[in-house]
Amino acid sequence: MDNAGYTTLTRQSGLTREMNVLANNIANAATTGYRAEGIAFSEFIKSAPGTESISMATANVQMTSLEQGALKQTGGSLDFAVEGPGFFMVQTPDGERLTRAGAFSPNENGDLVNMDGHLVLDSGGAPIFIPPDAKGVDVASDGTFSVDGNPLGQLGVYRPVNPLDLKRETGVLFEAPDGVEPVEEARVLQGFLENSNVNPITQLSRMIEVQRAYEMGQTFLENEHNRIRDAVKTFVR
Amino acid sequence: MRALTIAATGMSAQQLRVETISNNLSNMSTTGYNARRAEFADLHYQQVSRAGAISASDGSVLPTGVQVGLGVRAAAINVNLEQGSLSNTGGDLDVAIEGKGYLEVTLPNGEAAYTRDGGLKRSADGLIVTSDGFPVAPEITIPEDATSISINGDGQVFAYFSDATEAEELGQFTLAGFTNAKGLEALGGNLFAETEASGAPNVTNPGEDGLGTLRQGYLEDSSVDAVREVTELIEAQRGYELNAKVITAADQMMAATAQVR
Repeated sequence: MDNAGYTTLTRQSGLTREMNVLANNIANAATTGYRAEGIAFSEFIKSAPGTESISMATANVQMTSLEQGALKQTGGSLDFAVEGPGFFMVQTPDGERLTRAGAFSPNENGDLVNMDGHLVLDSGGAPIFIPPDAKGVDVASDGTFSVDGNPLGQLGVYRPVNPLDLKRETGVLFEAPDGVEPVEEARVLQGFLENSNVNPITQLSRMIEVQRAYEMGQTFLENEHNRIRDAVKTFVR
Repeated sequence: MRALTIAATGMSAQQLRVETISNNLSNMSTTGYNARRAEFADLHYQQVSRAGAISASDGSVLPTGVQVGLGVRAAAINVNLEQGSLSNTGGDLDVAIEGKGYLEVTLPNGEAAYTRDGGLKRSADGLIVTSDGFPVAPEITIPEDATSISINGDGQVFAYFSDATEAEELGQFTLAGFTNAKGLEALGGNLFAETEASGAPNVTNPGEDGLGTLRQGYLEDSSVDAVREVTELIEAQRGYELNAKVITAADQMMAATAQVR
């Protein structure tokens, strides 16, 4: 069994996967509320009966960086950013989802929706209605929504019970399979949006590392190929 | 190598951003123009390994799965509907809307369009029309011998004549309001059309239902902030270059693969 080749192969396919993740991070460097994702390699031990076990490195652990992204002032009265931990909650056809992308607008019925038209939920899990004749919408730092001075409700800010287990979905959404809980003393900023928290410099330097590691792996495979070819030549002669 | 196509989606997203910025900058002095902003969202995720999958022969499971995203997509071009500043023009048919309403305009095909550009003119027949010559609804005709026109905050139009001290009321401007004005479809020429997303227009007199009042002799400036646009432009350009770098790196990795015999 060509153990050297197989161990390198798992490493190479893990690096390709990491390259794809890095490319996705960089492609989403301008996506509002995007959370950078990272991949970690872990040791995978394959026990082969009768022989020694083989240790391989596989990329099978994923992390979502929940670091605060930079806040960008837009001045829009329905643009919101969460400062500190927590997510807004939206109602999608597949259930409730968390998001940090706070570019909201009313829909044709006057209910607050996100960019993809999903209803934004308040602290009680109900949609937020903005009267069409509202002159001004003000949101206090705790998320309390008031229209022309009359409080209407509170923007819900939630956090996943298990922050490690966040499933990503298109539209900068996250599914929390273990459930969510409200964030006490959440801070909501009106007129701001949170930038993607991707740090392009870190991503780029990691990309160079991945590329070089991949090339090293290829060189190793080539050397291994030459070694076996030489062995075959020597023994056949 | 998916990195190639992922980076390509990133490049086209940044390109869209530059296009939005250049449209904003070129409309810096367009009356009543609202700055636009491209909004992005991540694309679908491929499940590489699921959380809870068995990771070793002793039965231990993965605490988190691996999902590989497939890039970025444009989610919306968001319109910033904040009020632009007003500049004094002194023109008797220049009206600025102080509030969030729109003037209704009748297009040549009979359909209604909406505008915030209050730089109105008088047609050959005395009708009040937009710069493109489309009549404002409801139609108001100015008599030929009127010496001056006065428009008050509630949208009433008065004409003064040389042979009378009392002004004559000619008509009443109305304003249209939308539940979701960001959902209006831009037609060009500062005109917008109603869509399913915007909801039906709610037409009232100025000063009612929070739609704002009119101010004669003023025009609303474009709400484009040049400093903000230029900073965004720098970010977009760097973002484009970063994505191009990913393509180069992915290409070199593929070249390394191809070299192995």
